[in-house]
Amino acid sequence: MKILDTSTGKEYPIEILPVESEDFNLLGKGRYFFDWRIERNQEVYKLQISGSSDILGLVSMERIPNEWRIHIRLLTVSKENKGNGKKYDKITGNLITHVAKIAVLQFGELACVSLKPKSQIAQHYIDKYNMNVTGMSLSIEVPEILDLINLYDHD
Amino acid sequence: MIEDSEYGVDSRYKSVKERESDATALMEARLIRMKNLSKDQIIRSKLLQLKLKMEEYLKNPVYDNRNYFSEFLALYVDTIYAKRSVFAKDIDIAPVSLSQVINNHREPKDDFILRLIIHSEMVFKNVCEFHNKTWYQVYFQEKICGTMSSQEKWRPEIEKHVRLSKSIKD
Repeated sequence: MKILDTSTGKEYPIEILPVESEDFNLLGKGRYFFDWRIERNQEVYKLQISGSSDILGLVSMERIPNEWRIHIRLLTVSKENKGNGKKYDKITGNLITHVAKIAVLQFGELACVSLKPKSQIAQHYIDKYNMNVTGMSLSIEVPEILDLINLYDHD
Repeated sequence: MIEDSEYGVDSRYKSVKERESDATALMEARLIRMKNLSKDQIIRSKLLQLKLKMEEYLKNPVYDNRNYFSEFLALYVDTIYAKRSVFAKDIDIAPVSLSQVINNHREPKDDFILRLIIHSEMVFKNVCEFHNKTWYQVYFQEKICGTMSSQEKWRPEIEKHVRLSKSIKD
């Protein structure tokens, strides 16, 4: 999996790892928009360029096995990767793909990843990640989830 | 607005009621979509799941006596074929040999693994990225884990045949 340096066009391999307890001290609203310390007891992953310890994106999720679903609770990129002037692109896509891979690993053809963005930005997720709409929830399942994984998950 | 769309999402449910109502609506919609899945889409999902399981095993090896290679092989064959004998024919081996490998009554020969690698290349080509070294990696990972986790069985006998005639100082 890779992210793209928007200024040079160069791609960098990334790794997505579980957040460790000492990481939470660095994960304040200033750089990561939300107070991630509240998520301390959840399953939280961080995205880093391979070999670097700088955290560029975060996702917390909840596995709901009886619904064959993983719900994205919170997701963010670091401040410098927001908007038109962002340093790196594809951080959000890689984080959603990471959750999608866990869902397919656990639930196979029944896998589902859901999230519930504010209505103003929902359309963006529908268009970019081919998500389905159910009420206020967005979700991605087979077959779209396979396309998403194939788009982002390669060396 | 699009410019700022990807800075983040806060999807945390605010109440049990919200969570339950969303879950019900979502499940109803998904069940309808699931009914429309084609056989091909289901097979593709299962193959991707298998690939992810193999990668997970390689990333986090388990030191036990389970036969991961043959379990993954059985999953692979049963996902694609209704009858294992057809797979055996496709890779030009006797059905009984395949059965013995899957049931752990014999080790897979090199030829068997090489044919499996080529078969997997053909299958995964249009499904997802699948490294052709994966089957070998799983096979050897299982050997390493199995050997290391069963030292109490083999070590006493093997140790009788090993000595150090030249001492190495600390």
